Amino acid sequence: MKFFIGNLPIYFPYDKIYPEQYSYMVDLKKAIDAGGHCLLEMPSGTGKTVSLLSLIVAIQANYKEKRKLIYCSRTVPEIEKALAELRNLIEYRTKCGEKDEYLGIGLTSRKNLCINSSVNQEKWGKVVDARCRNLTASWIREKSKLYSPGEVPLCNFYEKMENDNERQRMLIPDGVYTLEELREYGKEQGHCPYYMARRTIPFANAVIYSYHYLLDPKVAELVSKELSKDCIVVFDEAHNIDNVCIESLSIDITKPNLDASAKSIAKLRDVIEDIKKKDSQRLRDEYDKLVEGLMAASQERDEDVYLSNPILPEDLSHEAVPGNIRQAEHFVAFLRRFVEYLKTRMRAQQVVAESPMSFLQNCREVTLIERQPLRFCSQRLTSLVRTLELSDLNDYYALHKVAAFATLVATYEAGFMLILEPFENDTIPNPIFHYACLDASIAIKPIFRRFKTVVITSGTLSPLDMYPKILNFQAAVQESYSMTLTRNCFLPLVVTRGSDQVAISSKFEVRNDPAVVRNFGQILVEFSKIVPDGIVAFFPSYLYMESIVAMWNDMGILNEAWKHKLIFVETPDAAETSLALENYRKACDNGRGAILLSVARGKVSEGIDFDHNYGRAVIMFGVPYQYTESRILKARLEFLRENYRIRESDFLTFDAMRHAAQCVGRVLRGKTDYGLMIFSDKRFARADKRNKLPRWLNQFITDACTNLSTDMALVTAKKFLRTMAQPFERDQLGVWSVEDVERQERSNVGVGGRAAQFN
Amino acid sequence: MTKIINSNEELIDIDDEAQNANQQIGYAWEEEYKRSWDVLQEDEDGGLKHTVEHLQSRKRKRLERDTSIIKRGIIRHMFLIIDLSEAMLEKDLRPSRLDLTLSYAEQFILEFFDQNPISQLGVIVSKSGVAEKLMGLTGNPMDNINVLKKKNIDTDGEPSLQNALEMARHVPAHGSREILIIMGSLTSCDPGDINETIDNLVSENIRVSIVGLAAEVQICKLMCKKTKGTYGVVLNEAHFKDLLFEIIPPPPVSIVKSKSELVVMGFPRGVNESMPSLCACHSKPVSGGYICARCNSKICDLPTDCPICELTLVSSPHLARSYHHLFPVANFEEVPWSSAFTTHCYSCQMPFQTQPQVVKGRSNNVTSIDSSGRYNCPKCKKHFCIECDTFIHEVIHNCPGCLSTSENST
Repeated sequence: MKFFIGNLPIYFPYDKIYPEQYSYMVDLKKAIDAGGHCLLEMPSGTGKTVSLLSLIVAIQANYKEKRKLIYCSRTVPEIEKALAELRNLIEYRTKCGEKDEYLGIGLTSRKNLCINSSVNQEKWGKVVDARCRNLTASWIREKSKLYSPGEVPLCNFYEKMENDNERQRMLIPDGVYTLEELREYGKEQGHCPYYMARRTIPFANAVIYSYHYLLDPKVAELVSKELSKDCIVVFDEAHNIDNVCIESLSIDITKPNLDASAKSIAKLRDVIEDIKKKDSQRLRDEYDKLVEGLMAASQERDEDVYLSNPILPEDLSHEAVPGNIRQAEHFVAFLRRFVEYLKTRMRAQQVVAESPMSFLQNCREVTLIERQPLRFCSQRLTSLVRTLELSDLNDYYALHKVAAFATLVATYEAGFMLILEPFENDTIPNPIFHYACLDASIAIKPIFRRFKTVVITSGTLSPLDMYPKILNFQAAVQESYSMTLTRNCFLPLVVTRGSDQVAISSKFEVRNDPAVVRNFGQILVEFSKIVPDGIVAFFPSYLYMESIVAMWNDMGILNEAWKHKLIFVETPDAAETSLALENYRKACDNGRGAILLSVARGKVSEGIDFDHNYGRAVIMFGVPYQYTESRILKARLEFLRENYRIRESDFLTFDAMRHAAQCVGRVLRGKTDYGLMIFSDKRFARADKRNKLPRWLNQFITDACTNLSTDMALVTAKKFLRTMAQPFERDQLGVWSVEDVERQERSNVGVGGRAAQFN
Repeated sequence: MTKIINSNEELIDIDDEAQNANQQIGYAWEEEYKRSWDVLQEDEDGGLKHTVEHLQSRKRKRLERDTSIIKRGIIRHMFLIIDLSEAMLEKDLRPSRLDLTLSYAEQFILEFFDQNPISQLGVIVSKSGVAEKLMGLTGNPMDNINVLKKKNIDTDGEPSLQNALEMARHVPAHGSREILIIMGSLTSCDPGDINETIDNLVSENIRVSIVGLAAEVQICKLMCKKTKGTYGVVLNEAHFKDLLFEIIPPPPVSIVKSKSELVVMGFPRGVNESMPSLCACHSKPVSGGYICARCNSKICDLPTDCPICELTLVSSPHLARSYHHLFPVANFEEVPWSSAFTTHCYSCQMPFQTQPQVVKGRSNNVTSIDSSGRYNCPKCKKHFCIECDTFIHEVIHNCPGCLSTSENST
């Protein structure tokens, strides 16, 4: 259908539109016109992506300045979905007679895109990257010219692309390519899809890729350097964006890392000795370059720059590398000293938490290492690796980590904390040096500053005022949309006590109380009796899940549940979990029914949908608070309180509730779907917790369902399941046709446009 | 743990009401109650006539059927599969799922043979992962009912859909083949891949309909969709019966022709002897009966299969009764007040109500719900009251108006 918002003609690839999709577009347009950032919360399954794309593509087509769309999503399937949606939209526009020259491209790691059969068999992304570089690095290609063809292995796809690239500027014709199609096209043309996508980014109208390509300075520098200021940047599923920001600037160093780096240093020294004898000119050239300044040295092709810098571009120093690390052997000695210093620190028996300043101070006193050379560690290492033309870069991974650590420590002072934990679980000696970023706004600041419009959107962003605070930006529009439903297709139930009236909670004091555990088990058993097909249960942590499942086993609760459904468990191991998931789905499909026990912050809770029969009910056992004894979390909480005036309890509750909302949101992926959402903890009944749930969820939490015992919840649930099983007509869903939209648009114009709603 | 769930209890202990209002709920006996009085709304005069009529017309809505004339298979072979798992002991349907199912099954079988006298039905039960054939296909309703009445029907373990379906698959190819499952459990314990069984059912043109007693199970939904059956989940006891009885009218025949178009059938002669003689079916001396058209053995009841020569025996009224499914009476239309000129129901001669005087300014919604209580046969244009409408469609399957006018014309 086609309609107008203001003067902007919008093509929407479906016949009907939900009212919330329409208001989402209106608000989004307002934000883009105003050139501000915005924060929009809309439940998943209501067509968020398609509304967003329809509006932005309309803006791209109709506005004078050609703005590029940068769409960041979290997982590869989500990227695929967005690409498919975009292609669908463009096809629809073409069918309606719009002649767009539109190029949409998706980018993901080499592991997913590589078509070179000798490389893409590898299981690990890192190994694929390393193998790829061994075939495509510039010095290897140089070398191959000296030898006869075939002696030095190269990647045929890359070579062909390089050759063709010299003849034609555009590698790829207009259109929207999903990742699979990109691979297909690559195979057809004999081009490398990964580099093809990367080369095309500057010309594409829409780029869809992962967060990290924009947020993580280590990769952003390579991939996203050339994006212009007027790009429209969208972060979808952005409820975890603060954690992504923090992770991109945090680094953990373990004992094995240090040992591996010590080995790498020894190897480096050998290589340098070797080269000194054979080709000392090369080292001298590098030295001269370093004197001129690092920027000149890094004027290399991006494929070579794999040990990229962990700090943000604006913090990058433009000075020349300090004299004491210019000589290769000096630098290696310097690194060795630093690694030895870290090793000594790791021998400490108690937990140490200190600021980067005090760490540097201590470092200088003990080893006479100054701050300035530390800052250049990472760049210097990169340059050295290039000079030495090292091929098996994977071996130097640990050393690179240490160098990145050094650079980060010496660059940032505020908002970071160094924590040394000598023991794992206070007993097992496994020293870890955490360099923890506490301030999520540091990594995202350049994004907000560089781009005019940044859209942050997700199904769960409540409470909305928290994100501008922790990411430190001003939102022009922030809005949460409710869901229009004619049948209540989900039923949130807050179970506060078991049938024996004992209050249930995952609170630390009572969580292992047999009465509470039994009541949790009772909930599982009773619901497994009445809920068809799949049930997903979430625990606050792996540790708690293990202890509770062990207790259930002793109590015979598992045997009881087994009678009705099979039980699968998520483990930290990805392969195991995906096997469990596969079988879980099978059991849901063939009528046996299954329960999946998983963890609120695990893989299952974040990326995997349990639509329709794969999740007829989701049970939250307890409030998914973070592990509050974690020192990193404590440091972050303190930082938030001091700098952003966010109380610890507020942040913890916010974080717990957004994860709870994420978990229960897994079962509802569309309006034809239905599911039960069971919050079993007495703390969920409190208003301060409930208020932090998204609006679309909150609107269906009735007072009658907030303080239930298990048996009362069961009766309500049974009735709900019966009602939902009745056939329903499609037009009940509260959709708008073109006429409805036009009427709405007229009324908007009538009152002078909808007033912006600032919270 | 046993729980007493009064989900559909009509009787309410009034004393608990004050307590309930304070949100101090929490005991099993207070779990759910139906505020049945909320449905009733008095009109201006304090009467309940409107509400009652409203409820009636709502009931009538449900009964409207597809009346287009299509080819329906009136010779049906149906297996009734009853789930006897532990889930059937639940008491959310009164008196319990099992008891209610058995009594409804009995009613269903009677009604089924009443409406489809030349069809055959068998009963299979499934418990603890196996299926058991209680009664093979038979044309005699009493055989099936007697099997269900046996007291040794007890529940155990989980049902097995696949085993039961495999057992029910072996049905003669003439006539339509159907399976009706009454399923209380939400799980099925299968030895292999049930999807293969479903594919076999689809290729053999066997229609599977399921009545679920608890909630929607994906595999059931899929199975019914693939085999073009119906799938319903009961809301309460009455809805259960509705869903079950929806299966009784014969389904349309799919375009794919079955192998045999013709079936051998005997029309036995009825006898009334002065001296009782032994019958072939029960070996008891009876004085009345029927004589098989082929082998001359004596049978007590029709319709049935001859126990000696296995000929299908029916009487012509039976055939006639199946016939009405092929030419159903058209649904009657509600008559608006504007054309409600008649004063009496055409068939029962009870007077219709007259149009109430609408007082201006009064609430309009009362009149909008209000119906004239007249229903119009689209063919003969005669008006009938709601009772006669239901009676015509459910029992006599002929419109008295049409019959009388055609008599007049001939």
